[in-house]
Amino acid sequence: MAEEKKYEGYPKYAPGTHVSTKDITERKITYTWWEPEVQYAWSLGPAMSRFLQELKAGKIVGKTCNKCDRVIVPPRMFCEYCFGPTGEWVDLKDTGTVETYSISYLDPDARRIEEPILIGVISIDGASPQHGFMHYFGEMKPEELKIGMKVKAVWKPENEREGSITDIKYFKPLKGGEE
Amino acid sequence: MTFTEKQTDPTAPMHWRGDMQADYFYPNGVAGDKFFKHLMEKDSFLATKCKKCDKILFPARLYCEDCFEEIPDEDWIEVPAAGTVRLFTVATINAQGKKMEEPKVIAMINIDKTDGAMLGIINTKELKRDFIGVNVKAVFRPKDKREGTLKDILYFEVV
Repeated sequence: MAEEKKYEGYPKYAPGTHVSTKDITERKITYTWWEPEVQYAWSLGPAMSRFLQELKAGKIVGKTCNKCDRVIVPPRMFCEYCFGPTGEWVDLKDTGTVETYSISYLDPDARRIEEPILIGVISIDGASPQHGFMHYFGEMKPEELKIGMKVKAVWKPENEREGSITDIKYFKPLKGGEE
Repeated sequence: MTFTEKQTDPTAPMHWRGDMQADYFYPNGVAGDKFFKHLMEKDSFLATKCKKCDKILFPARLYCEDCFEEIPDEDWIEVPAAGTVRLFTVATINAQGKKMEEPKVIAMINIDKTDGAMLGIINTKELKRDFIGVNVKAVFRPKDKREGTLKDILYFEVV
């Protein structure tokens, strides 16, 4: 019977040819680069459709669940707690509270960046506690961003809005006395 | 439970459309790099000979796929960019599933003097013809326009 070979982990040195970014950009090596067209369409449904339509008009709307006594945002056609149909549409304020946040020094392509991206979840005023959505933060230094701080939406000019969550550019700190 | 509420405004957004970036990057590796750099300068292919199996591997590679023997540099050989059709199909739709204006004949071509084969497009108008066993040769891009990919082979033409 052959002697059983003990697994010794990864080799200290992996043989091979190392390729640098320069080898690719200066075409020192041959390669195939392909950018496939990958498109998707996500069916909004009645609730999301109206939510985006109202964002275009500069307003955040939610929907109530009378049985669970809560105001849901983003609006849903059914309550995910009691599975019953939701009730009335309600207009909410464009202010809120920071629930969680992240300071990212990586961009969406995982490249290192100097100016960090501030992102987090905002619970919207007028909705039930801890009901809200994710968005960017702006007009603040990374160290100013704190859980529990009050923020206000900064909207795109009306003619640039297209019925997207990015019709709100970002949320800025809400100073005392401001509405 | 029923939902009586419906979106009745025909101008309201119904779908969210988006693009996903999914780039594909394939470096050819040591043997592939040598193969394609040769292709950029010459109108022929490179293959490698495995002395142990007495086989000529095409496309060229560093190791024999049957016996795993390493192929030394002196066993790289130049072979003509021509061959014999082993299999073929007539494609009428493109990769997106859309009907193409002109159908394409795609063939598996045994490269002459080797035991290997490659896929290629046969430039022909005879869509009803049986191409099996037909001799074809590769037509390349002009040398100054080659970029070291398979697209440098424009098509194969019947000899």
